[in-house]
Formats: sequence, C-alpha cells, structure tokens
Amino acid sequence: MLPTITVDDEKCGGAYFCRKCVVVCPTHVLGLGTSVGVQKYRETDPQYFVVRAVYLNKCSGCMDCVEVCPNNAIQVSFNEGSVT
Amino acid sequence: MCDWCDKYGDGYERWYFNPANYARRIYKIRREEAEASGAEANPQEAGGMSVIGREFLEALDSGDLEKVQEIKERAEATAWLTHFGQVVTLDEALKICDMIYPIGLMTCACRRSMRAMPDEENFVCMGMGPGMYKWERWPDTYRGGMHYITPDEAKEVITKLNKKGLVQTVATFGTPYLAGLCNCDYPDCAFIRTTIDLGVKALWKGHYVAKVDPELCTGCARCVARCQFKALSFSPSNNMAYIDQFQCFGCGLCVSECDQGAISLVDRASLPALANVW
Repeated sequence: MLPTITVDDEKCGGAYFCRKCVVVCPTHVLGLGTSVGVQKYRETDPQYFVVRAVYLNKCSGCMDCVEVCPNNAIQVSFNEGSVT
Repeated sequence: MCDWCDKYGDGYERWYFNPANYARRIYKIRREEAEASGAEANPQEAGGMSVIGREFLEALDSGDLEKVQEIKERAEATAWLTHFGQVVTLDEALKICDMIYPIGLMTCACRRSMRAMPDEENFVCMGMGPGMYKWERWPDTYRGGMHYITPDEAKEVITKLNKKGLVQTVATFGTPYLAGLCNCDYPDCAFIRTTIDLGVKALWKGHYVAKVDPELCTGCARCVARCQFKALSFSPSNNMAYIDQFQCFGCGLCVSECDQGAISLVDRASLPALANVW
C-alpha cells in the first residue's frame, strides 16, 4: 500500500539546512528538490528547497519523519484514513 | 555483446574506451538535438528521479504488470537516449582518467537530493570533457562549485572512494556522449536505486561477473558489505560468500576486499547464460 506524504512548505521553511526528515527516514523515501526547478545561470536560493516523497513504495509508515519535524510540516497517511 | 559497445564501440574493446564518445563534436551534436527538440540541455533534468512518478509506483504496487511494462519501456527509452550509466571496474575508471580532459570534481546530485548532503561532504562525483568548461551555465547542478583536477588527482580520488566502497560508473549526457564518472552506492544513487528497486534499467551491468573460489574463501564475510547490488550474501551452512551471478554488476568491489584472493572477475561474454544479461 502506498502512502500519501504531504509536506507543508510554508511550515517547513528550511529543508536545505534542517535535513532532519530526510536523514531520519530508515528507507530513504524522502528527497530534496526545489520549488522553482533548475534554472540556467542561477543558483537556487536555499529558501526554495523543498522536501518531497520520492520512493513511496519503500515507506513503511513508521512516522519517524512526522515526529522528527520541528515544525509539524509532514503528514503521512494511508488509504483508510489518516494515520497521524 | 553489450548493446552500447555494439553501437558506439567502433572497434574499441569497450564503447567507453572509444575517444569519440567523449569528443566535443558529439557534445555539440547532442546539445543541439536536445535543444532543437525543445528541451533544455541540462543534465539534471534527465536525472533518474524524474522517471519515477506515483503512477508507476501505484502500478507496481497493485501488480498492474501491463502498465508497469509500458511506463518502464518509456522511461528506459528516455534514459538510454539522454542519461544512463554503466558500471565499470576500478581499472577501467583509472584508464578513462588518462583518456579524457578536463576532469572536474563536483558534488553528487543524487546525494544532495536523497541525503540533503551538504556540499562540503559531497564532492564524490566527476564530470569529464568539454562540457566542464561551461559548468557555470548550471550552478544548481554544480552546487558547491567545480574543481578542475589532473588525471593523477582524479585517479587518487577514485581509488580512495573505491576503497571506501563506492562503485564506479560512467554516465551519458545525450548518448553516446560520456561526461560522467560517478562513485555510487545503494540506496542514494538514483541509477542504482531505480534499477535495483524499480526494475527500470537506468544502470547497465558491467562487462564482468564476480565468482567465488570455494577452495580459497575462508568465510570472513568482509566482501558482503561491499556489494551495492544485493548480489552478494553470506551462506552460514557453507561458511562462504555466495554471489548471485545473475544479479552481479561486475564492479569488482568484493574482489578488492578479499585478502584470500577468493573472488575473481570473469568476462561476462565468456558465460553463455550471462553474456546478454545487462
């Protein structure tokens, strides 16, 4: 069963430096990307970096990412209603 | 024969030993083709992560094999045209360092993405050839900057990373233009992860297959930690390493870890059932 993993970017606010959720995930599901895409001739400012779930198929539903987030920005839910 | 050697080897022993595949002429062609088709010729756009969408993962999860196959074929076709990799041995990687110039040491985009790895800890990737002169066009791809290094310095870095346990791979950027010499591991390398976990062949196996000599293996199991491809395990009942040769990518990391000389690389082409397992 695949989860739905949502990240509230406004609450998150500092994925590039915080890294906590990305590092804590035991199955390396989460990835860091940017909300502005890759830009030519311009380095993306750290504030535009966001966390997204990539390898959803490897999420066990342990909720470690949810718990480690200092800003309560991550939600993980499976089909039959929200687990968190 | 390896499809890529067949298509782009031009008489050389391996396609990645054919200097033409690193040449400015091809770099220019692939860039113009990509841009003509409307795509920005940015290497990162073609990266492994972009092929995996929720649609594919759902199809996998629900066992919709037809859909899995359809998306997989599409993703592989794109990867093989734009950006894919092949495993090379340490010796092969060192040989490549003497073939192509310049070589740039840069941060790894996969680890930045999957580990949020700070740049200063992440200089484990190498770019090669004429594209390196224009790295500043894509500051995000080269976050942390780019350091031109000599062939000897490149060999030193690669040897050190191999010792640490990272697998050497070559990568195309507009096939057959070869511009990436990467040092990869599971699960954070997108090539390895996509290939091993999702069955989308973004990474081709190398030209060798590892083999354990039962007379020499003492069962120390040190090699087991070296395998990044889920091909090597330890058999307690035999007190011996076991290699699934059909899963082996032929990188040779287990070989160099064995003090007994119990593991060797054999030519893939010499094994009829494996000669076409890439």
